[in-house]
Amino acid sequence: MRRTLLSLALGVVVCSGSGLPCFVSHAAAQGEGPAGLATATPDPERVAEGRSLFNQNCSHCHSPNAASPDPPRDLRRLRLRYGEHMRDVFWYTVTHGRAEKGMPNWSGVLDDKTLWTIYSFLESVQTKP
Amino acid sequence: MPSEKTLGAVFAGAFAVALAAGAGSAAAQSSGGWGAYGADLANTRFSALHQIDTTNVKNLKVAWMLSLGSLEAQESTPILVGDTLYVTTSSGPRYVFAVDAKTGAVRWRYAPEVPADVAATTCCGLDNRGVAYANGKVLVARLDAHLVALDAKTGKELWKTAVSDYKSGIAITSPPTVVKNLVITGYAGGEYGVRGAISAYNQETGQLVWQTYTIPGAPNDPGADTWKGDSYKHGGGAAWYVGSYDPQLNLVYYGSSNPSPWGASERGPDKSEYGRETNLYTASTLALDADTGRIVWHFQTTPYDAWDYDGVNENILADLDLHGQKTPALLKADRNGFFYVLNRRNGTLISAAPFVYVNWAKGIDPETGRPIENPEKRPRLDVWAKDICPNLFGGKNWEPMSYSPQTGLVYIPSFNLCMDLIGRKQVYKAGIMYLASEWNLAKPGPGGHMSELVAWDPVQQKKVWGIKEELPFMGGTLATAGGLVFYGNIQGWFKAVDAKTGDELWKFNVGTGISQGAMTYELDGKQYVAVVAGRLKTPPSFLADIGERVFAASPEGGMLVVFTLPGA
Repeated sequence: MRRTLLSLALGVVVCSGSGLPCFVSHAAAQGEGPAGLATATPDPERVAEGRSLFNQNCSHCHSPNAASPDPPRDLRRLRLRYGEHMRDVFWYTVTHGRAEKGMPNWSGVLDDKTLWTIYSFLESVQTKP
Repeated sequence: MPSEKTLGAVFAGAFAVALAAGAGSAAAQSSGGWGAYGADLANTRFSALHQIDTTNVKNLKVAWMLSLGSLEAQESTPILVGDTLYVTTSSGPRYVFAVDAKTGAVRWRYAPEVPADVAATTCCGLDNRGVAYANGKVLVARLDAHLVALDAKTGKELWKTAVSDYKSGIAITSPPTVVKNLVITGYAGGEYGVRGAISAYNQETGQLVWQTYTIPGAPNDPGADTWKGDSYKHGGGAAWYVGSYDPQLNLVYYGSSNPSPWGASERGPDKSEYGRETNLYTASTLALDADTGRIVWHFQTTPYDAWDYDGVNENILADLDLHGQKTPALLKADRNGFFYVLNRRNGTLISAAPFVYVNWAKGIDPETGRPIENPEKRPRLDVWAKDICPNLFGGKNWEPMSYSPQTGLVYIPSFNLCMDLIGRKQVYKAGIMYLASEWNLAKPGPGGHMSELVAWDPVQQKKVWGIKEELPFMGGTLATAGGLVFYGNIQGWFKAVDAKTGDELWKFNVGTGISQGAMTYELDGKQYVAVVAGRLKTPPSFLADIGERVFAASPEGGMLVVFTLPGA
């Protein structure tokens, strides 16, 4: 586990074929976030809270309600783009940032609970394949 | 420190500008050159050239084109020095090009090493609006908050100065202002809670000569009592757009941005009766002594702003005939929707009127200069204000207007959008956007169109004609002595209209959206019109479904397109 995470942090492990870092289910491994947060049953209150948090912290770049017209910034396409890795890509990105794309590292800015609440909202707006 | 002295001088009421040489103050009127971003340091964007006029503009053809080599929003206005055109691209800039103005042949290119992570500290697109020129040097400001002087002949870097640390949320997107032996710049960062400043450097060495902060930095600084608690510490007031200069008054004019964060509860009483908590000098026009940086006067357009109504829009210096008297005026179409005419000697309000649909304020009190607010339209902590007009792009944003002394009209590229806005709480973190708000900006104003070219009479303070555009982010304007106004739209149409009537006389699609205003120049008896195109990306992204329409209207791009008359 340790070794894998270290590799992830350095961004050197690439899953064959995808061109993306090969993620482990970091959140699940660390036991972060309330149980069931990644399940398919959305809690409407949690989604609403996540929407508000998203709109406060993310919408200047990703548009209110995640409805960005710019495909690379359109977070409704996370599932289409990353499939089963969506959750791990989310966690890796928010906790490492992609400064060259304009994405800050949110570690130490928003706590884990806030980030996972935002994730619950994002799950609720994914474009169907 | 200059900031304290500066603020102190103003608060002591020391309007000590030398007014002695008052007669005939200089609003520069362009002679046909285009040596600065706004044509001249009065920012008129008017050209005395008239070879291309209302009768022959229909024959205009492409002379040459230059691919800019980057795809982010293109917001540059080229300048002409001798027979060389200097143009910048987005993304850093990625390039500064020096090109033969007759053929488009590249003479040199400068490709600065700008750190890639500036993307995280640049709020609104990786833009660059162009360069300034002085004494053989091309002066370039960058997204990593550096100012650079290049040899105009070779493109070689002569000096490079860090204006500030970009990692705190500071970026420079606009060309500096050259005044005597100085090069003067502000910076962006009102979305990151920076402390705004305007700084002057020696043109020869790049060394700092003076720096004037726009907001207080310590409890005893004058102006600190216009902020709740110590909220000025992350209070914004960034001067991110271009300056103007009046050589006779020796005054440099800049606007300052919104206070940070947008949500106002942190900065004052969270209501329309804000008393002294106006958050000086945010959302203001500032007149600075060019030699010392001392603030000689200020005029705050939006006290205790809660709408992101930056006061940064360009100030056009023009001498207007008012009640039979030639008056040195300063014209500003503010983000807050009001068109201001000030006396540029002393900052006195001459008149103010809405140039777009405005409902957040009923008018401007002629005595105090303050907006008469509609309290329902002030967003408060956890209380939505709905259908506020204009929205936070403003009645006008950076896309520049022009002023024709021939028609006496100002040609304003305006927005017709409204918004819902609410204040929230947010803890400040350096380098992270500091907005403390939620919003919905995707609300077309009355009529449903989202842009309008407004021909505005600044003396009568009224609209003379208008051209509605379907989508927001129409481009800036150019006015010429040929009786023409040129402008582009987000669909990529570049148009020439009759400056008196607004009748469309010619159009050409350049293939990608146009935001910046065009410029014009003459070489060997031939007049050229040049426009930079490349559709905006980040601001439309705030607009959800309307943003989708903007994205669908034209692809991204990066082109300089130059037109002339065949056989002229």
